[in-house]
Amino acid sequence: MDAFYASVEQRDDPSLRGRPVAVGGSPEQRGVVAAASYEARAFGVRSAIPMSRALRLCPALAIVRPSFEKYRSISGRIFDLYRSVTPLVEPLSLDEAYLDVTDNAWGERLGVSVARRLKALIRESEGLTVSAGVAPNKFLAKIASGWDKPDGLTVIAPERVESFLQGLPVEALWGVGPVTSRRLAERGITTLMQVRTAGREALQQAVGSQADWLLQLAHGIDERPVTTHREPKSAGTERTFPRDLEDLDTMRTHVSAMAETASQWLDARGYVARTVTLKVRYGDFETVTRSHSDAPTRDAAAISARARLLLDRTEAHRRRVRLLGVSVHNLQAGTGAPVPGQSSLPFLQ
Amino acid sequence: MELVVRKNELLRELQLFQGIVERKNTIPILANVLIEAKGDQMRMLATDLEVALRSHCAASVAKPGALTLPAKKLYEIVRALPDTDVRIEEDKNGVKVAADRFDSRMQTLPREDFPSLPESGTSPRTAFSREALRQMVAKTHFAITGEDTRFFLNGALLVLRATEMSLVATDGHRLALVTVPREGTADITGDDEVKVILPKKTLLELGKLVAEDDGDIQYERGENHLFFEAGSRVLISRMIDGQFPAYERVIPKGNDKDIEFDRERLTAAVKRVALLSNERSRAVKFEIDKGKVEVTSSSSEFGEAREQLPVDYTGGEMKISFNAQYVLDFLNVVETDIVSLSLKDEVSQAVMKPVAAQGYDYTYVIMPMRI
Repeated sequence: MDAFYASVEQRDDPSLRGRPVAVGGSPEQRGVVAAASYEARAFGVRSAIPMSRALRLCPALAIVRPSFEKYRSISGRIFDLYRSVTPLVEPLSLDEAYLDVTDNAWGERLGVSVARRLKALIRESEGLTVSAGVAPNKFLAKIASGWDKPDGLTVIAPERVESFLQGLPVEALWGVGPVTSRRLAERGITTLMQVRTAGREALQQAVGSQADWLLQLAHGIDERPVTTHREPKSAGTERTFPRDLEDLDTMRTHVSAMAETASQWLDARGYVARTVTLKVRYGDFETVTRSHSDAPTRDAAAISARARLLLDRTEAHRRRVRLLGVSVHNLQAGTGAPVPGQSSLPFLQ
Repeated sequence: MELVVRKNELLRELQLFQGIVERKNTIPILANVLIEAKGDQMRMLATDLEVALRSHCAASVAKPGALTLPAKKLYEIVRALPDTDVRIEEDKNGVKVAADRFDSRMQTLPREDFPSLPESGTSPRTAFSREALRQMVAKTHFAITGEDTRFFLNGALLVLRATEMSLVATDGHRLALVTVPREGTADITGDDEVKVILPKKTLLELGKLVAEDDGDIQYERGENHLFFEAGSRVLISRMIDGQFPAYERVIPKGNDKDIEFDRERLTAAVKRVALLSNERSRAVKFEIDKGKVEVTSSSSEFGEAREQLPVDYTGGEMKISFNAQYVLDFLNVVETDIVSLSLKDEVSQAVMKPVAAQGYDYTYVIMPMRI
């Protein structure tokens, strides 16, 4: 979906249409941008930047508080629509999904026809535009979907894959963020074609175990199936504080509360986590993370204790802290996890 | 405050407090036990705001007063002491805990910070048989996950009727229901029922409370709290708000295939066969036929296993799978020689019961697995 939250707000409030809109927290409260309308993006407003900066970039910006309940219900209806066409729907977020339409309920032979019909249905029923990418695999489909936003429809037919890859920068690769891209650039690798010719060893020096994966992608190969249920890899929360924290006890309280949230998340899904990660952003925006791995747990007290110890390994005791985050990684099914095949007692809800 | 108490008496009480105190460390005072010296008693109180325990033991009080000490550290210290008198004394510099030649000074937190808890004795009381409570708790508590987002499933339902009482627990996949007779009660008449949901932690602590000593348990339902008084100890529990699911409705009435097993043989067979079950699902299959039940398992990783049990069964052939742990949870808490399994078909609720149980009625409902 295109600029999902912002588009929903513009749809529901005509006075916002055609104007730069950002959905997110208040600039005074150090809110961040959750979504920016295309009008706002023209000013350089992007999601995840501080709202105060967004406002400096675009003084005319209309700021709307998010209504996640609304977005969730719209998203639910759109996903239901997807699932009526194919059972193979892999959600990436509220507004993004992979669909394997090889077999589809409409009997369409071409993926592009499915995409076209879905786009029309969503526009009709929800008044929202989506951008679709149609390609032989997930990696290419994802790139294609971002090719021509908003309201785009990009098809990469198998015979066009090679010419498409020729023009791509390394950042297009799945898993290449700013850090990896800088490491690659240091070795003169900035395009997919250079990934192919760099040689495996050079790649390994730059990106370690990711090398083989990047090499595959650079050849347009991605065998990952569309999976309806994805095992989550991590979970956590973070919070930017309206005012920098200076008091270590207050920070500890926040860290414990976030540990509690992580524990509840694990509880609800029946996972245990081996790794606890603490993220600290100091007042000057320098951001550090500290991780600790131990026996898997979902216990709030254990996660909290580990996160607090991690806090002691930062400079939080002598620097102001702007943001704190606690997350859990290296998840595995714990006891009490939903077991495949286990049916439930027929309590009438 | 200043008092002297026997080590063993103090240790026995402190042990019970270990499960009560807050372990999450979010509110420091909740890790402490409140100690009051009054008359010839040392009174103790600890809580995590969900469950609280009040208790006391005999002490020589030199100076009445109150203070708080970390429950865990105090317990560790007292446990490590020889069998002697323990002196707890507050002075200008803090709290001294001393015995024999041992001397220590412990961190304390202000007594004023300790939350106040309701007192029992404002509502009518009922006596529960200690043994009946013990049975009910032991046979149900494991069926609570304690981690369900449907928070009303994070507890067990206590149902009081004129002549009997029940405790029910379920995690949505299996359900355990124990009913015991009640005597001499005037609090409930006719077909009336009084229901209350107890948190899982309350159940666990109640289980510990009724495990030792003897004598009835005095039960009292206050405005927002429940009180279970056992001798010198009172367990105070919050109630869980919410609607417990209509458990009667999932207990099947029409299961027409009944099989009786020797409990020990069934337990051993399920344990052995489960060793080669799928690690995640822990599924074991009951392959039922005339005169025998074969318990089987298979896992792509490890292989497969089967064990045959001779039974009196003349009905038709049938296969049904269960989570081995659910079956063992039941078998581990019943003590009758024979247990029964009654079934309808492969997908409906199965019921396990101890046969000829004394003094209680136990119904254990399990949903099968679809493999």
